[in-house]
Amino acid sequence: MNRSFRLLAALTFIALPSVASAQTAITGSITASADIATVFSFGTPVALNFGSVTPGAGATASGSIPLSRNVGVIYSLPDGANTGRLTGPAGNLQPTYTCGVGSTAATIVSAFTSCVPASTTASQLTLAAPTGSLTEYVIFNGTLAAGQTNIAPGTYSGTIRVTATPN
Amino acid sequence: MTPRTGLALLFALILASWPTLAAAQGNSKGTVSISPVQNLAFGLLFPGRREAVPTTDVSRRAVVALAGSGPIDVTLVLPTALETPTGDRIPLSFSSSDAALLTTSGATLKQLDPLQVNRVQLGNDRTMLLVLGGTAATSANTRTGHYTARVTILVNHPGT
Repeated sequence: MNRSFRLLAALTFIALPSVASAQTAITGSITASADIATVFSFGTPVALNFGSVTPGAGATASGSIPLSRNVGVIYSLPDGANTGRLTGPAGNLQPTYTCGVGSTAATIVSAFTSCVPASTTASQLTLAAPTGSLTEYVIFNGTLAAGQTNIAPGTYSGTIRVTATPN
Repeated sequence: MTPRTGLALLFALILASWPTLAAAQGNSKGTVSISPVQNLAFGLLFPGRREAVPTTDVSRRAVVALAGSGPIDVTLVLPTALETPTGDRIPLSFSSSDAALLTTSGATLKQLDPLQVNRVQLGNDRTMLLVLGGTAATSANTRTGHYTARVTILVNHPGT
């Protein structure tokens, strides 16, 4: 009998936690969510303008275009060997360039392998995703040698096209 | 007390407690239900912005249906941030006016404070809607991605 009594007492204590759990709170849950957009856009460019050049004198100029991004990027120069070529009354005028990307418009930090590449895909510059959104500048510094400028007067103009692809 | 008397007394106590237990179970489990209807969706955000979803924003606020009878205490376990699987975070904040209790037709019954325990009176198995808003604050360094968090709703009958 004593054994039965102890067994029953034990069963009673086992039963008590079940009762307690039946009285606990009921729960439900919902999800909260957000998606962070990709930031990837060019800003307003600063033209590379040699200005009025004295025939027979050299000239330099710098131009840039800002790109805001929060993902990686592949820069390329789709015009290849024609990148930044000037055309005017005397025909074509090809400045020499240094080019690349910097955190300001003044200094190139990461350079293209070539600013006037042999093919449209020959010169690419790949930069990794930043830790957050940033604005960087694609910079072209141009030089006209003195021997190039002793030509027919007039306006010589061209285009530097840069393609940025999210990566 | 003889063993036989003690055993009989114990049986009597257990039998006497059963109806109470049944009522308690029926009251807490049988008459209240929580049904998630709509998640809290901040949508597409840009880095460096603060985005608030008010309780009146029908397309983005969270909605949970509560059904049952009697008074209940509703507690929300609120996340402090949305996160990506890789651990990037967007801090979340909730104000005292970021929750409300609505009828199923959308009329506001009561403003709720999601930061406190809220006593709600359910009436005759009618369904009520608990809605929740909040604010997400991205920084310029917030990376692209899908961020999530979980909001848990606890419902207690007062006194249990």
